[in-house]
Amino acid sequence: MSGRVLVVDDEVEMQRALRAGLGYHDFDVRAVGNGEDAIREAAAWRPDVILLDLGLPGALDGFGVLQALRPATRAAVIVVSVMPGEKDKVRALDLGADDYLVKPFGTDELVARIRAVLRRQVDVSAGEPVVHAGDLEIDLARRSVTVGGRAVKLTPTEYELLRYLALHAGKPVTHSTLLRQVWGEYAVGDKYNTRYVVAQIRKKLGDDPANPRYIVNEPGVGYRLTSRT
Amino acid sequence: MRRLGPYAIAVGGAVAITLAIALVTSSANVPGLSAVYLLLVLWIAARWGRGPAVAGSIAAFLLYDFFLVPPVGTFAVNAPSQVFELVVLLAVALVTSQLAASIRRAQAESELLAADSRVLYELATVALRTPQLTGALSMVCDRARTLASVSRFALVAVDFGKEATFLAGDGLTADEVHQAAWAYENKRSVGITVSDGAVKLMKTHPEVATPAYLPLASGVAVIRIGSARPERHELRMLGALVGLADLLLDRRRAALESERARGFEASDKLKAAILSSLSHELKSPIASLRAGLTALLAPQAGLQPEQQELLVDLDRQATRLDRLVGDMLALSRLEAGLELDKEPHGFAELVGTALYQLRSDLKGHEVAVDLADDLPPVEVDELQVGRVLTNLIENALEWAPATGAFAIGAVAGDSVLEAWVENEGPAIAPVDLDRIFETFWTRRARGSGLGLAICKRVVEAHGGTIRAENRRRGPRFTFTLPLARVTAHP
Repeated sequence: MSGRVLVVDDEVEMQRALRAGLGYHDFDVRAVGNGEDAIREAAAWRPDVILLDLGLPGALDGFGVLQALRPATRAAVIVVSVMPGEKDKVRALDLGADDYLVKPFGTDELVARIRAVLRRQVDVSAGEPVVHAGDLEIDLARRSVTVGGRAVKLTPTEYELLRYLALHAGKPVTHSTLLRQVWGEYAVGDKYNTRYVVAQIRKKLGDDPANPRYIVNEPGVGYRLTSRT
Repeated sequence: MRRLGPYAIAVGGAVAITLAIALVTSSANVPGLSAVYLLLVLWIAARWGRGPAVAGSIAAFLLYDFFLVPPVGTFAVNAPSQVFELVVLLAVALVTSQLAASIRRAQAESELLAADSRVLYELATVALRTPQLTGALSMVCDRARTLASVSRFALVAVDFGKEATFLAGDGLTADEVHQAAWAYENKRSVGITVSDGAVKLMKTHPEVATPAYLPLASGVAVIRIGSARPERHELRMLGALVGLADLLLDRRRAALESERARGFEASDKLKAAILSSLSHELKSPIASLRAGLTALLAPQAGLQPEQQELLVDLDRQATRLDRLVGDMLALSRLEAGLELDKEPHGFAELVGTALYQLRSDLKGHEVAVDLADDLPPVEVDELQVGRVLTNLIENALEWAPATGAFAIGAVAGDSVLEAWVENEGPAIAPVDLDRIFETFWTRRARGSGLGLAICKRVVEAHGGTIRAENRRRGPRFTFTLPLARVTAHP
């Protein structure tokens, strides 16, 4: 069994399809159709991953479930939605979602995302002090960054930003989160600040913005450090 | 009686002066008293014009000659100086009356003009303040009908270049409205013209009861002149009223058009809203379809290769359907006037993002990206321009020969960035180079026919242009984006 996945979706056909598809990939799958059941099942069954549709019927929508889940569960949450606006994605990520996926999607893509969040959970729980993204190595304990063995000198701001992305490697991090984490709670600034610093980091890492290997832009949302491949 | 009065005064005056002179000369011989007649003639000429003045001067001459010039009691003239006196009297009468008459005419004219312009001013002020333009136009018609020579006056509106309808003034028959529409359509006046602000009757205008038609910018004035010889100032007034009506009709048309434009805009917004909820409804079943179809592709599902192939085909169709729904929604939102979230962006990052999103489709393709390091940032909506890039790259992918190469490049101009995506596929037929951006035009079997139309809308919403051209190696799509004003970061 490669993990427990709780599917939260009000469409029975979708539940059935995901149960079959994820089942073929050795996941243990349970499915519920509303927010209340999702919260109950998350607490009782302790899934590793929750696939949460934002457009749930009833009083408790996806955002509400996310808010209720976050302090109580260590499960990774992948938010799923038909036609989410960028604001919805940002809101879900800021509420603690680990990733988002736009419907419709293929099973391959879903399985890849689930595996990525599961791997990240393992890394985080192992307290791995060194994060890899291709030949980029970020040693969180020694505060050192190397590309292909070559040391890269970053300013404190650049390092803080890269460190935060590394701590959440593979996960999209919103501009607002980066601003808060790097510049502080009362930071005044906008997305252009993070864009500028990311451009500087890319330059130092030798990462081509037109063909990024390490830091990927999530349009309208933020940035993501590619997870090791 | 009124007309004879001045003549009586002229003759009476001459008699009175003759009496006075006779009285004076009876006691003493005073030469040159005949000059007093001049005063009379001058006064009469200035006051009543030529006729009474001439009558006065002839009366004066005859009286003077008969009663005062010896031989008294005859009209005999025996000195050439007396003939001269008569000629002088007559000349004074004629010249003075002429001068006075023209002054009086000019004065009367200017008084009329002043009265006309006062009337027009008041009318225009009220008409332009009236919120109901039809009411204002009725006022103009009413005013025109107070002119003695105008027996009918009506206005026909021609909305949106067609649909002639009676608007204000005297009622018109269906035939007359039809005739007005004809005059408008052919831009031809019938029976009447306006030049130098005054209405002129055409010589060919028959003296029958049919009205004249005068096409205006957005309507027609239908006028019936009742009298055969209308007064000049009335025609000028009529011309001014027609001018005012023209102005008001134009305002009415502008109001109608902006109302219609608002209607269109509202309907675009409504369309986008309907499509948005419809898209949601369409995408949910597509999501279930794709999840189900792709679930069965896992080896554990145990399907035969040809069954899997069928599933892949079906999944591709479902994806295409999803794409079509998404493109339709995107296009309708652009048509409804989507608000752009413009910010400075590095073009290289935009390209990198698009390529990253399409990375699975790009496997095996050779992408040549030629972007200078010092390319200035562009001021764009990241998501929308991302859509342009992914659409153009997908288009290039479709047409690039299998595993063929395609290239992306950009150069910065003064205020715009010119970017292009080119492939080595077959040339686009010259007639299609423009049509290719039209909605639902496609030469791809799988395309929605909306991708390039969306590109065009997005680029144009940014104030840029997009074009397709055939280069030696293959088609190239070039578009421009505005550069960010601030290039240096604080």
